[in-house]
Amino acid sequence: MASPCEVLIECELESEARQLSALARQEAVRIEQKFSRYRDDNIVHRINQGGDDIRVDDETARLLDFAQHCYELSEGWFDITSGILRRAWQFKPGARIPRQREIDRLLPHIGWHRLRWENPGLSMPADMEIDFGGIGKEYAVDSVLALLQAKTGHSVMVNFGGDCNASGTLADGSPWMTGIENPRRPGDASAVIQLKLGALATSGDVFKFIQQGGRRYGHILNPRTGWPNPYSPLSVTVAAPTCTEAGILSTLAMLQGKDAEIFLDQQGLKYWCYR
Amino acid sequence: MQLKRKKIAGLLSVATCSLLCTPAQADEGEWDVDSAILYYAEDDDRVQAIEPVINATKDLGDEESVSLKLVIDGLTGSSPTGAVPSTEVQTFIRPSGERSYKVAPNETPLDPSFKDTRVAYGMNWAKPYDRNNRRNYGFNVSKEYDFTSISANALWQHDANMKNTTWSYGFNLEFDQIEPTGDVPDPLTSMDKQMKGDSSDTRNVIDLLFGVTQVIDRTSLFQVNLSLSESDGYMTDPYKLVSVVDDDSGKPADQLFESRPDSRSRQGLYGKYRKTLANDDIFTASYRYMTDDWGVDSNTFDFTYRFKFGNGYYLQPHLRLYDQTAADFYTYFLLESDSPPKHASADYRLGEMDATTIGIKFGREVDRQHSWSVRLEQYEQTGESSPSEAVGQLRNQNLYPDVTATIVQFSYAFIL
Amino acid sequence: MTTRYQWLLLATVLALGGCSSLGVQPWERNILARDDMLMDADALDLAFDEHIYFSKEASSGGQGFAGGGCGCN
Repeated sequence: MASPCEVLIECELESEARQLSALARQEAVRIEQKFSRYRDDNIVHRINQGGDDIRVDDETARLLDFAQHCYELSEGWFDITSGILRRAWQFKPGARIPRQREIDRLLPHIGWHRLRWENPGLSMPADMEIDFGGIGKEYAVDSVLALLQAKTGHSVMVNFGGDCNASGTLADGSPWMTGIENPRRPGDASAVIQLKLGALATSGDVFKFIQQGGRRYGHILNPRTGWPNPYSPLSVTVAAPTCTEAGILSTLAMLQGKDAEIFLDQQGLKYWCYR
Repeated sequence: MQLKRKKIAGLLSVATCSLLCTPAQADEGEWDVDSAILYYAEDDDRVQAIEPVINATKDLGDEESVSLKLVIDGLTGSSPTGAVPSTEVQTFIRPSGERSYKVAPNETPLDPSFKDTRVAYGMNWAKPYDRNNRRNYGFNVSKEYDFTSISANALWQHDANMKNTTWSYGFNLEFDQIEPTGDVPDPLTSMDKQMKGDSSDTRNVIDLLFGVTQVIDRTSLFQVNLSLSESDGYMTDPYKLVSVVDDDSGKPADQLFESRPDSRSRQGLYGKYRKTLANDDIFTASYRYMTDDWGVDSNTFDFTYRFKFGNGYYLQPHLRLYDQTAADFYTYFLLESDSPPKHASADYRLGEMDATTIGIKFGREVDRQHSWSVRLEQYEQTGESSPSEAVGQLRNQNLYPDVTATIVQFSYAFIL
Repeated sequence: MTTRYQWLLLATVLALGGCSSLGVQPWERNILARDDMLMDADALDLAFDEHIYFSKEASSGGQGFAGGGCGCN
């Protein structure tokens, strides 16, 4: 995972902390290797070769079920087949915005509804790709926390690049403290959040955007148009029971553009939205 | 561009749960242990039983598991022989011929020395073929001093329709050997005669089961089973008697060993429905219809309702209603003038009867590691105690004494 | 009589098999996955009951394979 990952464990014995953090690392690496789209030896690679009735294991099946559910709930705004847009959008300094016809060439290869997912078999045309990038990191946070919770009664906080989940307060009852960065003032925690039990996830990346013609193009793309919403907030942080939920909601909020706050208000969850 | 459905957080939360909350199951290598002890006591000093059970299941990973079960069943007390009461003292020679026992006037004849210990072992192995197909193989042995039973079963399950439908099919083969105290009696011969029967006899049972379990919606499901059973061999109870009575006085003139057919075919339909209600309480109803070529048809209705309180506590009332018709060869007694029938049994369990069970269970699911419960039930069986065919003194006797039994059970489950 | 019932049973089972419109999506299984919603929940209770009623009544079985015969009937 291309971001700093930390696991905080409140315990007395260093040996226990080492043992638990080794477990956490092992689990994070396992998920990363299994679901990364940059490898050629994992299930994602196998699926992306396309094929009829590709059999998947139980964990992948649960992620596919979840991806399908998110696709339906979001009316197609969240789509794990949209990663192919990367071929047109390169979010690095100095990149240009793609031409419409580059995007038009890609759009026919996007759409979860073009797949046939019948647990445990997935049928996908070879010209499509799936990418768990939109849920993988948050899923890893929740999985690592669940693993540690099963092994220790101590309070644990898992933080992978700002997406985090805590198992409860510290022994003296005090909460974990975590800062949210204001994208306008990088490096400065503009809000300190007290996290007792539950998760945070942030969408919007201070560095992943293209500035062109006075407009800012963020990296969260609408799978239907192939374009980012021009009125997206700079970043959205959502607090939810799990990191996975927080991640989906913050991504969907970004796609809502100028209606992001309205959407977030309707969810009844705490959020921090920076414009 | 806006979502039509505004508030999605709740539904998303449910979806996330199925992603992250994998079903509770024992971790690989752990033993999941269920233990219980049952106390069963019939009124009037009839049968009493104490039955401890332990069942341990080990998860071998990838949904493969093995389980081992041990049951010990200690029985004491006396059991009705099927002979009719009389106005005079009756003397019976025990099957072993060593000792006789007397039955007081107007008392139901009971065999007073009913004492037995049964030990049963079982093992079961479950392993999936793939995500939608599972197999279960089981092997059971049960031993009493006069009875040995060995059985093996196989059950296959196939999930379809996104695991909303599960088809099950399987069979069970059972082999029983009966070695009655004092040899196998000749059917419908007088108890007084010296027996020249074999020392043991056997029977085989084949059961077939075909079932489907269907998820209805997020809170309910039902199951339907069709079962077929064929038994062949010695099905008579070597300790049960049929009285031959005088046509006019109704007084017992002779006591014969009972006789049952040497084959039996049964068919059953079983349905079960279970639902979680809005307040998390659970309602379960089941119905069973059984019919067989002995002429026994039965209906069983069973209802439970689990009230759930916080912290894992629950209270579960239970009601079971049962009725059966009599077997064709069931008779209260035989008349001296009757031509000898091919088969006859006065075993009350083959007679027409109704039975009601009322129970309550209280328990707590402490956490994933521990749970306990205590169950108290009362079972009552009633039949026609003054049948119209009664003659002479029998008109004043109770020919079908009711059975009332109390059941107490403690259960404790833990993980090793 | 017996034949008629067998056909009735078979027809019922087949009718149920056709209910493919019933059911839930995998993510809607949180309630059904609870231990006390499993059809074989309270397995020890069921085994005890099976054994008691086997020794007191003429009909038995139907639910599954009870396992372990008994000389009590």
